[in-house]
Amino acid sequence: MSQAELGKDVVLREAAYLDERRWDDWLDLFTEQCEYWVPSWLTEETLSTDPQKEISHIYYANRSGLEDRILRIRSNRSPATQPLRRTTHIIGGILATAITETDMQLRSSWACHVFEQRHKKVNTLFGHAQYRLQRRGDTWLIAAKKTILQNDYLPSMVDIYCI
Amino acid sequence: MDIGDIKLYVDDRPDDGVFRVHRKLFSDAELHELEHKYIFERTWCFLGLDTQMPRPNDFITGYIGRTSVIVARDAKGGLGAFLNACRHKGALVCRTESGNAKYLVCGYHGWAYNTAGKNVNIKDRDAGCYGESFDADSHDLIPLPRFESYKGLLFGSLCADVPPLHEFLGEITALLDLAMDQGPQGMEFIPGRITYTYDANWKLQMDNGNDYYHLTSTHPSLMAVVERREQARAGNVEARQFDWSKRFTQQGGMFTFSNGHTSTWLNQGQPENRPIFATLGEAKQRVGHTRAEWMLKLRNLTIFPNMQIADSTSLLIRTFRPLAVDKTEMRVWCLAPIGEAPEVRAWRLRQFEDFFNVSGMATPDDTTLYEDAQVGFQAQGLEWLQGYQRGTTAVVPGPNASAAELGMHPVASVQGPYDMQNETCFHAPYREWARLMQAGATGRKPYGHKA
Repeated sequence: MSQAELGKDVVLREAAYLDERRWDDWLDLFTEQCEYWVPSWLTEETLSTDPQKEISHIYYANRSGLEDRILRIRSNRSPATQPLRRTTHIIGGILATAITETDMQLRSSWACHVFEQRHKKVNTLFGHAQYRLQRRGDTWLIAAKKTILQNDYLPSMVDIYCI
Repeated sequence: MDIGDIKLYVDDRPDDGVFRVHRKLFSDAELHELEHKYIFERTWCFLGLDTQMPRPNDFITGYIGRTSVIVARDAKGGLGAFLNACRHKGALVCRTESGNAKYLVCGYHGWAYNTAGKNVNIKDRDAGCYGESFDADSHDLIPLPRFESYKGLLFGSLCADVPPLHEFLGEITALLDLAMDQGPQGMEFIPGRITYTYDANWKLQMDNGNDYYHLTSTHPSLMAVVERREQARAGNVEARQFDWSKRFTQQGGMFTFSNGHTSTWLNQGQPENRPIFATLGEAKQRVGHTRAEWMLKLRNLTIFPNMQIADSTSLLIRTFRPLAVDKTEMRVWCLAPIGEAPEVRAWRLRQFEDFFNVSGMATPDDTTLYEDAQVGFQAQGLEWLQGYQRGTTAVVPGPNASAAELGMHPVASVQGPYDMQNETCFHAPYREWARLMQAGATGRKPYGHKA
């Protein structure tokens, strides 16, 4: 595979592992220092730009925040997480926007269909995402992910596997 | 049950130690329609913060119940509030949640208003062959019958027959002050829109905002995360907050107030984990030692009917607005001192996102359980709910020593160990619910009489 194809493979795996609840495999896709950011919208037209000064839906400066999420899911003590929502991510529009020997940037379009089993409800969250990957030997890891949530009038709850 | 005697849906017999609420309060669509008429459209509702509109011609939009409202700062700097409905055909005049515009122009037929609500243009008026009766009518935006502010908190009423805002809030202003006086330069909402819905009745949020009893059973997954951060310094320590297990040894209590307002509080064993802690010295000089120390306690307020302040991890203001008997819209804002140090501001944001966001790790567990309750409310054999009784024998009328510290005169007080997880804090909102509903159903004005 070309480097761009390897990058695209990471983006697809990131979504697939969430749907397949392969939490450890999912965490392993990220570097320890990865920034994970879902910015809020400031207005109908403007997205927030500074997570230190503006609210985010989710902001983690490193992977530990993602580890918290998995700990919570695995605790089996979160009512919102039992039974876990079934999800299917549809990923498209992947473009590699910059590639060097060590870094790669990609963007994707995503939709996540969510089935909430308890109340028999279906909703869809959608948007696009920007990835910055870093090369680690023969593989690429996610060093930063910024998820733009287009429908931010949110239904009941959102977790990392719904976006 | 008889809808003509609505107060019977709240079984309130203090002499017998009984306080019960009927499940139909949460599930009956007919009652819900009356809630709009007799509560939301006949009392004060929170609309926003004055610092959201710093410049002339800034505006925000919001809702009182089902009514869309514009709050605008006019060209001269004064604040006004209007129905967000064009006088011509009723279309929304402001179609965004905030903005700045010298003229507010309806997109439909182009009628234009200034930010003081005055009609400044009726498109093609001269050629319109309008009659005299049209010219005799006002074409200005309809101002809210009442619009007032307290320490920058803006409230409006669709009914003129409400007491002045200060009187409506009454003694709970002492607790509002503990939130609104935290910054020497005033308070602001941190930018960023967090809005969500849940499929259950609005009063589930009204209750949950003061409910200490649910924490250990609803949120143990977050507690496990917080405990790991505290003990192993592992996980997202940027969102560090107090260790929840330490709250079980603390003293806390509640105060209820007239007009349906209520509050709960708890001493805080790790005050250094509060963003306000760093500037407490300044606050003490400004508001006095006692009030500043109270800023460190956990405090939850409900301003009836649908605004809450939670000063627990970080400082939140929320509204919960019914869209239907079984659907509620939540708007939440992170309230913070203007001019706060950047590192404290960032920490405050991380706490807020971690706990209060619907994409965080606490609120989703609440909304899920509201929805479970809403399904349960359809159970035809279930009549009276038993969730309003903890703390019954601990209630003292009027202020206790803690209220006296703040010079405050609540209707009733409770104080005791955390484990009491008192539920009598809910009595005031439901008494007011019953009073306003009964007043409406019997054709009386909402205020100025006692049920």
